[in-house]
Amino acid sequence: MLDNYLPILIFIIVGILVGVGPLVLGYLLGPRRPDSEKDSPYECGFEAFETARLKFDVRYYLVAILFIIFDLEIAFLFPWAVALKELGIFAFWAMVVFLGILVVGFVYEWKKGALEWE
Amino acid sequence: MGFEKFLFYVLSLITVWSSVMVITRKNPVHSVLFLVLAFVASAALWVLLEAEFLGIVLILVYVGAVMVLFLFVVMMLDVDIATLRAGFIGYLPLGLLIAAVMAVEIFLIVGPANFGLAAFPSPEPAGVDASNTRDLGLLLYTVYVYPVEIAAVILLVAIVAAIRLTLRRRPDNKYVDPARQVRVRKGPDRVRLVSMATEDLAPAPAGATIADKGESQ
Amino acid sequence: MIELWNALPLVIQILFKIAAIVLPLLGLVAYYTYAERKVIGYMQVRIGPNRVGWRGLLQPIADALKLMMKEIIIPTKADKTLFLLAPMLTIAPALAAWAVFPFDEGLVLADINAGLLYILALSSLGVYGIIIAGWASNSRYALLGAMRSAAQMVAYEIAMGFALVGVLVAAGSLNLGAIVAAQEGHLLTWFWLPLLPLFGVYLISGVAETNRAPFDVAEGESEIVAGFHVEYSGMAFAVFFLAEYANMVLIAALSALLFMGGWLSPLPQSWVEGNWLLNDGFHWLLLKTFFFMFLFLWLRATFPRYRYDQIMRLGWKVFIPITIVWILVVALAVVYRLPPWWSA
Repeated sequence: MLDNYLPILIFIIVGILVGVGPLVLGYLLGPRRPDSEKDSPYECGFEAFETARLKFDVRYYLVAILFIIFDLEIAFLFPWAVALKELGIFAFWAMVVFLGILVVGFVYEWKKGALEWE
Repeated sequence: MGFEKFLFYVLSLITVWSSVMVITRKNPVHSVLFLVLAFVASAALWVLLEAEFLGIVLILVYVGAVMVLFLFVVMMLDVDIATLRAGFIGYLPLGLLIAAVMAVEIFLIVGPANFGLAAFPSPEPAGVDASNTRDLGLLLYTVYVYPVEIAAVILLVAIVAAIRLTLRRRPDNKYVDPARQVRVRKGPDRVRLVSMATEDLAPAPAGATIADKGESQ
Repeated sequence: MIELWNALPLVIQILFKIAAIVLPLLGLVAYYTYAERKVIGYMQVRIGPNRVGWRGLLQPIADALKLMMKEIIIPTKADKTLFLLAPMLTIAPALAAWAVFPFDEGLVLADINAGLLYILALSSLGVYGIIIAGWASNSRYALLGAMRSAAQMVAYEIAMGFALVGVLVAAGSLNLGAIVAAQEGHLLTWFWLPLLPLFGVYLISGVAETNRAPFDVAEGESEIVAGFHVEYSGMAFAVFFLAEYANMVLIAALSALLFMGGWLSPLPQSWVEGNWLLNDGFHWLLLKTFFFMFLFLWLRATFPRYRYDQIMRLGWKVFIPITIVWILVVALAVVYRLPPWWSA
């Protein structure tokens, strides 16, 4: 089984190199003439007033947390989906209960307006 | 030394090194990214143990989701690094002591006495067709069905808690509900064109025409 | 020839195989950008690029050369390491996902059993390049674009994951080759028909995951100039560009593989016996992939950009309920062996 993972490891390394290669090439071939105007962050012609790293709405964190929960749910669904044919109707009802409990949470989210983007 | 063993040591080294970097970097964003690297290396270690499902799920859930949240938080919260690190030297002895105690505890529990090769001989390598996703499914949804449902309840609690803690209404926001916009029908809800006879505007008194026209529709 | 091949060390063999995948892929990506400009040009009654070479065919090469000669500008207040790391983090998963992709019966580099899971995990890493690029640039527009894009990719990844679970239920395996084998038969036994709602969800989520029009608020030229990669120039920008198009090709090829029977011929086996052109083969996969790639361009030429709240609503409130319901429908059909798909 591990034999199949060796090509993947090599492929990931090649993937990173395909990212590094062009950067090196651009670094070697391109000019380097830094100048304070050119290297300042793009701001529609204004001088930047303050640091660009601004605070964000807490909504983004909520979306990220909900994403984690649903991602976990998918992780539970994968083994179920693969084994379903052998498991039969019992596993189907087990999943109905599992998803049912989570749908309660989903409905709560929906009714509370957590999914609204205002 | 076989290639697998070599890989094991390389990956372990990466894991340990990046864990050290997590707690020593000044910039919290760098720390989070080193934590990501530690997770990726441990996922690779799990794959090396032939636990492919767990290894890839570690990447999917921890690297792909949990660490994204971490990044959001440290990038956007503007953590003041100076105050965070203020008592570093003062707390160092206590921290080292606790770390040492924990290391001894861990060694006592998972050390060679309890988890050595004698107690748990290394399993036979799985066949080419072995799918531990399937094996896991066969177990999870028969023997361990009850814990799985409890996991669902825990996730439900997590959803409710996350919403209670972070959801803030902003009454001053101007907002259009896209669901209502989508529901607009072509006939009655949109612009209506009314055909009407042309009017001779010339004889009407100046200033009154436009208002009159509006009402006559 | 074969003896020479067998004499090579395993790692060199694998490297050759990887080159045989990556090089045509990069060529395809280069000419995909040309095709995009041509196709959208004709759709908008323009000619598109026609100056460099015959009918502009050398345009991608000219573009690459130009980008190579440009300076890679690193803004003063940027986090230098992360700024340069971001493009690599974007392209590496986009390419590495191809490791488990089967091109024909048995023609696959890494035949792992968790193939689909691997692809899903790698596509979940794509978001890092974007967030890091946006943050490291130290630019308002870049950060805004990165945040928009992250929240959007996250929402659609859920929908995509659920759609893939539907495919898994139908095929009963995570192995991509086995998923194609499960669709054996003809046009109507492919999964697009029983999984039609999931197919739609998958395609649209694929467009959203790659931040393509009409879901391209991450770039949104008219609002936030170019989003997360405003500050990137020269080859650093080119790597982002390559990754975006490589991801599009991947999504197109996966749609062909998971829902349209991959390399299977649309005609029943008994009709096409002995005819290599109509029989199963790599050319069918290529044809189907090209169709979906064309669809991406067509969508961009046709639809105006979605508003951000509409995008989030579609992902969370429309796609997720549809997929949950349909997964259970498919599961019932599988458990009760609904013919013709699951009669065996």
